[in-house]
Amino acid sequence: MTLLVEVPPPAPAPAAEVPPARRSAGRRLVGAAAPYLYLAPALALLVVWTYRPLLQAVQLSTLSWNLLPTSPATPVGAANFREVLTAPELGDAVGVTALFIVGLLPFTIVLPVVIALSARRVRGRARTLYQALVFAPMLVAPVASAAIWQWLLDPGSGAVNRVLGLQVNWLADPTAAQVAIIVVTGWHVLGFATLIVSAGLGGTDDEYAAAASVDGARPRQITWRITLPLLSPTLVFLTLMTILLSAQWSFPLVDTLTQGGPGDATTSIYYLLWEYGFRSFDAGHGAAAGLVFFVVFLAVAWVLVTLSDRLSFHDD
Amino acid sequence: MTRPSRHLLTRPPARLAGLLVAAALVLTACGIGAPTTSGGTAFAPELAPDQKVTITFESYNLSQAGTWTDTFNELLGEFSREHPNITVNAQKPQGTSPNGVSNAVPSVQAQLVTGNPPDVAQLGFGDLDFTVHQLGAKPLDDLVGRPAVDANFGGEHPYAPAARTLGDWEGKTYGVPFVFSTPVLYYNASLFAAAGLDPNTPPRTWAEVKTAAQAIKARTGRDGSYVDCVTRVANDWCYQALVESNGGSVISDDRSRLTFGEPPAVGAVAMVQDLVNSGAAPKLSQAQAYPQFARGEMGMLLESSSLQGTFQKGAAGKWDLRAAPMPSFDGRPTMPTNSGAALFVLSNDPAKQRAAWELVQFLTSDRAYTTISSKIGYLPLRTSLVDDPRYLQPWAARNPLLAPNLEQLSRLQRWQSFPGNDYTRIKDRMMAGVESVVFQGADPTATMTAAQNEAAALLPTTR
Repeated sequence: MTLLVEVPPPAPAPAAEVPPARRSAGRRLVGAAAPYLYLAPALALLVVWTYRPLLQAVQLSTLSWNLLPTSPATPVGAANFREVLTAPELGDAVGVTALFIVGLLPFTIVLPVVIALSARRVRGRARTLYQALVFAPMLVAPVASAAIWQWLLDPGSGAVNRVLGLQVNWLADPTAAQVAIIVVTGWHVLGFATLIVSAGLGGTDDEYAAAASVDGARPRQITWRITLPLLSPTLVFLTLMTILLSAQWSFPLVDTLTQGGPGDATTSIYYLLWEYGFRSFDAGHGAAAGLVFFVVFLAVAWVLVTLSDRLSFHDD
Repeated sequence: MTRPSRHLLTRPPARLAGLLVAAALVLTACGIGAPTTSGGTAFAPELAPDQKVTITFESYNLSQAGTWTDTFNELLGEFSREHPNITVNAQKPQGTSPNGVSNAVPSVQAQLVTGNPPDVAQLGFGDLDFTVHQLGAKPLDDLVGRPAVDANFGGEHPYAPAARTLGDWEGKTYGVPFVFSTPVLYYNASLFAAAGLDPNTPPRTWAEVKTAAQAIKARTGRDGSYVDCVTRVANDWCYQALVESNGGSVISDDRSRLTFGEPPAVGAVAMVQDLVNSGAAPKLSQAQAYPQFARGEMGMLLESSSLQGTFQKGAAGKWDLRAAPMPSFDGRPTMPTNSGAALFVLSNDPAKQRAAWELVQFLTSDRAYTTISSKIGYLPLRTSLVDDPRYLQPWAARNPLLAPNLEQLSRLQRWQSFPGNDYTRIKDRMMAGVESVVFQGADPTATMTAAQNEAAALLPTTR
């Protein structure tokens, strides 16, 4: 009945049980090194492509330099970090990012749960079709869908205004642009989130619900008291994904639809970071901003992972 | 189902972590940012008759399929027939922006980092300071000699005097101005007539633009006007034209101080804000505005002639497209700026430098301008070509849209580039301020003063 299988610690390798006295020092060394040798190719790639660039970013963040071999790299100490943390646009970008996260939660938690729960009543082929339809937006390239949304959101001849009977200038008004980005991003990730919730539901045990209904529980009670608690690890995971990745999910849409505007209304921290790193030629400043965001997200992820163990109900 | 948190919390043994950190440190120690110095630029001797040279040419005009690319491929084909010993590999800038112009400098920078820059690059005037000081554009005066540079600007149909110095920086010619436009007021004569306005007397001042636009809005229901100069996406070239036409500037003459927060510059922004607030201009992004004008659903649009082809296609058989000079501030003379780009030589190899110069000469020749102007719509910088029946005269006679653009060339002001590594951030800060004043109704003086103060911290001298 265990749903979450704890992987037992690997059994000690048989070689380690052989009395050491009977083996030469050289063979012992080879034996001890073997697992590391197996790991070496993967670790080498990890070091070369992840940890080394990370350390180089630290080094770069203390320089004022445009990366060009003909230009001097001037050490500036912590000046880049001071600049990043005191930049007036940083506060706005954090606010926009928080807004995106809160705005996206209905699309990554509420709607997927509703859709997945109602999809359970659909049976057979219709269910597959239903799931495929919900998942479809995820398969459309964001930049391509952004181009279509740009037409749909056109204030004059766009379909959105005509259907809703509104006169909203979606991409040129700050609040409307934020709403538009959230809804289009939500439309995009909804299928993915629904898929995760469906998988989570598939992993819960029907016997609890069956037992509860034998005891006279109503479907509503079963959903609230049994299904949702059993689903909590999935929901916490989706919350974590939303908090950490909202700004990334919305990036291609922001880049194509609003370029961070109007004003700074849709400049999230990722868009700001991209502007620092790739629109200006101040590599040190970009690296400093990247590191600050890295550390902050690391802290956020750590807090969330710790919380997730407390908040989730595990059917161990 | 597995719990994601367990995976995230799984830790490698401490020894292993130590090993990884050590390896990363060792690899990093070989370091970043060891600058190499470059000396002055030596004269590039003429190529020997049998000397074969291969050069790369990077142009944002190659990033758009259709007219732009076809025109350039045709020109490069002609060049290779004329110079069989020089092979030109033409390429478009690498980058993510759908607008190739925005990719131009980052692309060259990325290739410079790997030590392999294009030999000839077409780069914007707004990037001139960075191109000269950081990208290492070669001074043509040293490369081929001042007389040769002057001779190229001269000839049977010499460059317009205002255009020939646009690629000069700190007393030397670095770039040969190549393709650009001035701000042109395109207008829909059919909508003018429908609104009871005289299509033969387009507005000459911004006050007249406002009146005409309000009339169009009231009588036809269409949007009246759009000034494509006041957003970050539009870049700052024609915003600078507005500022200078109102007696202002964006940076002081000695380039030590930003000035776009001062009253004349602010006044120009306030004028456009008033167009929007009074209903004479809609709140639209660039991507929304120019297609709307091309569909015939807008009265007037201040725009670069690089979009003229799009408008002609949209107007053909449907509505009457016309062009007028940039409107003035109450009759004071306008100060049109230029958009566009110059050709720069970046190569360090003498043979390639000479071959690059041959290509630059060819691309800025009488014949090349005849092809470029007639097919794309850019200004012929050799202005007398439009009077020569062997070149552009027949085309100019059929194209009344050219006249205002050509006339403004005589009063051209330089599109100022900002100094330092953060020049794009300075520009972005400035244009974000302009955008929030015009479209979000922010207070002009307070917003632009704040933007100027914030951007001032990014100037290189204060570091």
